[in-house]
Amino acid sequence: MSLMIKILFLAVSLSPALTLSTWGESLAWPLFGGIELLFDLNPISAFFLLLLALGAPLVALPMLRGAPDRPAYALYALLLLGMQLLLLAGDFIGFFVGWEIMTWSSYLLLLRSSRTDLEGAQSYILFNLASAFLLLAGILVFHSLTGDFRIQAIDQLGGPEPLALAVLFGLAFLIKVGTLPLHLWVPRAYDQAPDIFSAFLSALMSKMGVYGLILLATLFPEALSGLLGRLLNGPAAGYILAWIGVITSIVATFKAISQEDMKRLLAYSSIAQVGYITTAIGVGSSLAIGGALFQALVHTLVKLLLFITVAGIILQTGRRRFNDLGHLIDRMPISFLAVLIGIIGLAGMPPLPGFAAKYLIFVSLIDARWLLLLAAMLLSSTAAFIYCYKLIYAPFLGHANSPEAKTATEAPWPYLVPQVILMGLLVALGIFPGFGIQFLIDPVLTALGLAPIGAPSWGELATPYGGYDGVVLMTVFGTAFALVTGGFFLLRGRMRRAGSPYDLSYAGEVPTADTPLHYGAGMGRELRRIPLIGWILLHTTTGFLTGLTRQSLAAAGLLGGFYGRNPQTWILLAVLLFALALTLVTLTGGAL
Amino acid sequence: MAFQLTPVWFIALPLLVAFAAPLWVRLGLLMSMLFATPLVLFGLAVSLFPAVGDAPLLETIVIAPPLGIHLHLDSASLLMVALFNLAGVLFASFLWLGDTEPHLRGRGPFVLILLLITGCTGLVLTGDLFNLYVFLEIAGVSAYALSALRRDKTALEAGLKYLIIGSVAAIFILLAIVLLYLETGQLNLAALARDFGDIPAAMQGLIGLLLLVGLGVKAELFPFNVWVPDIYRGSDPAVTSLFSGILVKAFLFVLFHLVFLLLADPAVARAWLMALGALTMLVAELVALRQQDMRRMLAYSSLGQVGLITLALGFASEATTAGALFHMVNHTLVKMLLFFVAALMLRRFLSLRLADLRGVGHAMPVATALFVLGSLAVLGLPPLSGFVSKLCILKGFAEAQAFWPIALILLAALIEAGYYFRWIKVFYDSDPAAPQCRSDDGPAYLPLVLIAGLLLLLGVAPFLIEDWFVQAARALLGRGTILESVLGVQS
Amino acid sequence: MHAIVDSLAMIGISYVMGFLFYGFYRQFNARVQRRWGPSLWQNFFDNMKFLLKTETLTHGPMFFLGPMIIAAGAITTVLFVPFLKDSDWLQGFSEHGNLILIIYLLVVGPLGNALAVGSSGNPFGVMGVTRGLTRLMGLEVPFFLGLALVMLQHETTSVHAIMAAQDGLAQWNLFTNPIAFIVILLPFIASQNASPFDVVGAPVEVYAGPRVEFGGRLLGLLMTQNMMMTVAKLVLVVDLFMGGAGNVPILILKAFSLFLLTASISLVFPRLKTEQTVDFFWKVPLGLGVLGVIATVWLPWGA
Repeated sequence: MSLMIKILFLAVSLSPALTLSTWGESLAWPLFGGIELLFDLNPISAFFLLLLALGAPLVALPMLRGAPDRPAYALYALLLLGMQLLLLAGDFIGFFVGWEIMTWSSYLLLLRSSRTDLEGAQSYILFNLASAFLLLAGILVFHSLTGDFRIQAIDQLGGPEPLALAVLFGLAFLIKVGTLPLHLWVPRAYDQAPDIFSAFLSALMSKMGVYGLILLATLFPEALSGLLGRLLNGPAAGYILAWIGVITSIVATFKAISQEDMKRLLAYSSIAQVGYITTAIGVGSSLAIGGALFQALVHTLVKLLLFITVAGIILQTGRRRFNDLGHLIDRMPISFLAVLIGIIGLAGMPPLPGFAAKYLIFVSLIDARWLLLLAAMLLSSTAAFIYCYKLIYAPFLGHANSPEAKTATEAPWPYLVPQVILMGLLVALGIFPGFGIQFLIDPVLTALGLAPIGAPSWGELATPYGGYDGVVLMTVFGTAFALVTGGFFLLRGRMRRAGSPYDLSYAGEVPTADTPLHYGAGMGRELRRIPLIGWILLHTTTGFLTGLTRQSLAAAGLLGGFYGRNPQTWILLAVLLFALALTLVTLTGGAL
Repeated sequence: MAFQLTPVWFIALPLLVAFAAPLWVRLGLLMSMLFATPLVLFGLAVSLFPAVGDAPLLETIVIAPPLGIHLHLDSASLLMVALFNLAGVLFASFLWLGDTEPHLRGRGPFVLILLLITGCTGLVLTGDLFNLYVFLEIAGVSAYALSALRRDKTALEAGLKYLIIGSVAAIFILLAIVLLYLETGQLNLAALARDFGDIPAAMQGLIGLLLLVGLGVKAELFPFNVWVPDIYRGSDPAVTSLFSGILVKAFLFVLFHLVFLLLADPAVARAWLMALGALTMLVAELVALRQQDMRRMLAYSSLGQVGLITLALGFASEATTAGALFHMVNHTLVKMLLFFVAALMLRRFLSLRLADLRGVGHAMPVATALFVLGSLAVLGLPPLSGFVSKLCILKGFAEAQAFWPIALILLAALIEAGYYFRWIKVFYDSDPAAPQCRSDDGPAYLPLVLIAGLLLLLGVAPFLIEDWFVQAARALLGRGTILESVLGVQS
Repeated sequence: MHAIVDSLAMIGISYVMGFLFYGFYRQFNARVQRRWGPSLWQNFFDNMKFLLKTETLTHGPMFFLGPMIIAAGAITTVLFVPFLKDSDWLQGFSEHGNLILIIYLLVVGPLGNALAVGSSGNPFGVMGVTRGLTRLMGLEVPFFLGLALVMLQHETTSVHAIMAAQDGLAQWNLFTNPIAFIVILLPFIASQNASPFDVVGAPVEVYAGPRVEFGGRLLGLLMTQNMMMTVAKLVLVVDLFMGGAGNVPILILKAFSLFLLTASISLVFPRLKTEQTVDFFWKVPLGLGVLGVIATVWLPWGA
């Protein structure tokens, strides 16, 4: 019985792949009052559906472990349904329906974790519903502009409505991708969600916001340039969006560095990475959108890999704080390799595909002549090295810091299989960036009416500004590595392994097991002494939101005073109001 | 056919069944009759839809002119009648299948429930003011008695308070009726509508205000709805579902029926009604944030929805009116579902306080899942029916380029989400102290699951009954048609 | 065959230039401080001594692989920087790369090595790595911004194209785009791990530096790659700002003059702490860079 359910669940998780491969002609579903839901697959949605098709089964696999969690399976199926609806929708109502199903089913999945507290759950659902309602408001403005719900470019650009439309939609999607200052729900949700589900949240659901942002650009003739004109060599409206994205990544990167918990670090890193995507969408040129899509693809793969691996570590050790882990490299070698590949992709180092994405975005910024943005983006992308290093150092290197970390074993196979697949995909995409451009990115660019980037060969990434060859790069590096290692062994002399982990140069002392040797959570603490970073880490917008909550509760209490328990006051109130209204009516001349 | 299908059966049949209660007790058919009567009437109402769509059914039983019973069955009132009877069916099946408390299963409640349905049906069917008042009192008195059924301190207090505030409202309405009769000499609504314009403006204002206050109390509009949470808290949750599901809807319908009929141009009252609706909605949703008792929370949420419906009806465009009628149906279904869940939880935990319901999701998974579903529907989240009706209302506003109500409605929905999801979160808290044994008494869930299925069906395929709402909206707004059909018959 | 010979030649030249430059630096340093200093060949001797040690201590496989990665990274970097202009020789694989790739390749090795340091389990080593990464965060922003000004000027990221655009002395970017050069100069010194930004690996800081656990042949390898990397960076700046070089003597001359400039700056300033370094880079060179951007991009004559 439980095996049947698991097989069924796995089959459901493959449904996005099935939809993608077998989708035929468009579907229509009449709803109400002339509203018709249209569903069709276009290259843009196909790209995001591909991400979902890749990610859904990989997240489902670890969920199969242990006794079947039926409610979670059902909610996951609903979530997939919602996301597919949202991606396939050809009209905004279908889009909204999918968006909402996604929102509430993911919320209910979030509640499956015993670590979710009221604050985290509330901030998740309220931010996401705020996003949804802003979206709905935008849809209604769109409807009043075009008289239709179909997703299409509006033809009129004057007046405040298009701007209102852009702001409403923009805010809705920016909440979803978690840009500053609308990001507060992200770290809490990613941290508190069931460990595996965090991978889904970060890797796939944030991409729906990205899809929305790209969709937003298609609503205006001349994309974002149609809105506020041009600035330097890019759209002025996009310049604002791009700065929002970059500031988000800078702040989130520094916050990530200061985290002491693996999942929270990954959450902030997600915010930062999606910030790059936002920036690139703001630039809006063919190179930039190509970079945004590439970054979306890479970020999906990387965050799936990292969150699943981290979930495996938490499963095996029960610890999630950097202070409590350490030296797992010998006990969890595959997980180590997974995190290694993951952080290389996250940091955007060549030869993994994260570099290709960064390269495209950097070049597009140079092309748009937005160099200040480039500098700011570089700041966050270099600072990201520090948290990447923390992520691999604290759990895997150094010294084991808790009894669990000293005895842990490698994660079970449902965790390892997705890791291995994702590592393979990342390495392959890194060697063949041209393949990704040609088959995944260019169709979307063509559909968006942008010039395709094109690739002379699978290994090459080519732009008007020059490019690089992933195959050559990998070959050179691999050969050099092999030669150096080989040459090293050819030299005279022998290697000797240190007798104990405490056999260290330790300021002339001999450290013991009691010596605090793990530099884990403290890493990056000294960064606070740098004025800018100290300032960023000191400030937060949480206060504003708690204040808002407090104020609305106070208002609730005040208004609640009306609802007394005494019938006399009820009657008194009614009569007084009647008298007041009557006086008013008489004074203003009779008619109602 | 000798047996004529006239509107009067909607009132006569439940009355007859109610007064034959001793017979049913003897036959042991009490519960089945309570279930069958609304079911038959619901079937009748559904079968009448095509006919009524063509022309409204009228019936006049003259007692002594100008007194008489004028019944006016058009698409709008038929929709309401069908809704009330459907609610009656659901309520009866809940009482029948769910092993409810004995004080809800005796002869008294049997009569009162049927009278309540009759009264509400009469309110929407009646074509003259005199009977409006009569039915208002029937519905009111049965409601007061129902709320005091449990005969403990809180229930009796609630019943007494309800009686007091209900009578005050009735006095306001009676005054208005008296004034109207004095001014025009008419009681027939259509005739009144024709002559209302001739009344001096000051008197018009006075009558309008009297009606507004009276019906505002009954239809739970802010600031006349201060009594609601107290009464809802004191009554049985199952009974409360009738108040929120049927009674309020009937009075809302009456309020807007009168507004649309008496005023040649409903735009006169638009600002007042929309402001009242918006205020009701926002205030209720805000206050609900702090509620610690599920019945009070649901009461405030109900007020919020009433405000939304008022806002939409007050705008008086066809699209918003159709949406508002649809929303009435949804809200009735949802609130019945939620109050039933509350009743089940109350029976299990003997309390509906938030703190006592921690972890209920593990003890009563089905009930909690249904609560979640109901919350999603009341928040207007797809794919449940609340979404479609809300969308319809919002679309109506957007088409008329009125954006402030949209902003308010969405803001209210966000606040509403704030408390509903707080409850849901607490329900799913993992609390080691919460009882872990899972028990779901099967048959009691049948009506609940049926409602859930209906909510889902109407959310996915609302086009099935789209025509009903559009026709109902036309009928409700079609002042000219009513005047013509009624006065044409009379003259 | 050509590629193999060419690659070996590039590696050889960078190594020879590396130890000679470092040897010169030690001499130069000593003379400024009125000492006799070691011979020009001292660095070569030191390096060979380390590489031929008979015994080397390791702390596990990752500890061993780190120096391999950093050395492979250095070789890859050298092979992606074109050494000569308008020549078939000493090009390596540079036509398959670009400037941004090179900038990132410069970091690959150090990050690989950071893994080895972490693997050693010495907290001081990790502290050094963190300092290094922090410094990197500081210097990379103005460094990249300066290079971006050059890339914008020539509308390409290809080092070849930038080199080709500087035909004569007057077209050197050093003269056509002086702001960019000034912006990158100090970050460049820091990226060479030279004083005054050398707190990470300075001799007196070894106990709190990334190399604390390395010895023997592994340390030798680290030293080798450091010398090669220094030359690669020098050549890169020569390519970008001084028009590249047509043949090896000119290359050495230009690189040497640049080295002399940086060495002179290094000698006269006291060492900064890490946070001071970062703060300095974000204030002075980055501020200059922002001014440069405003001057060249935002102001009307820039476009």
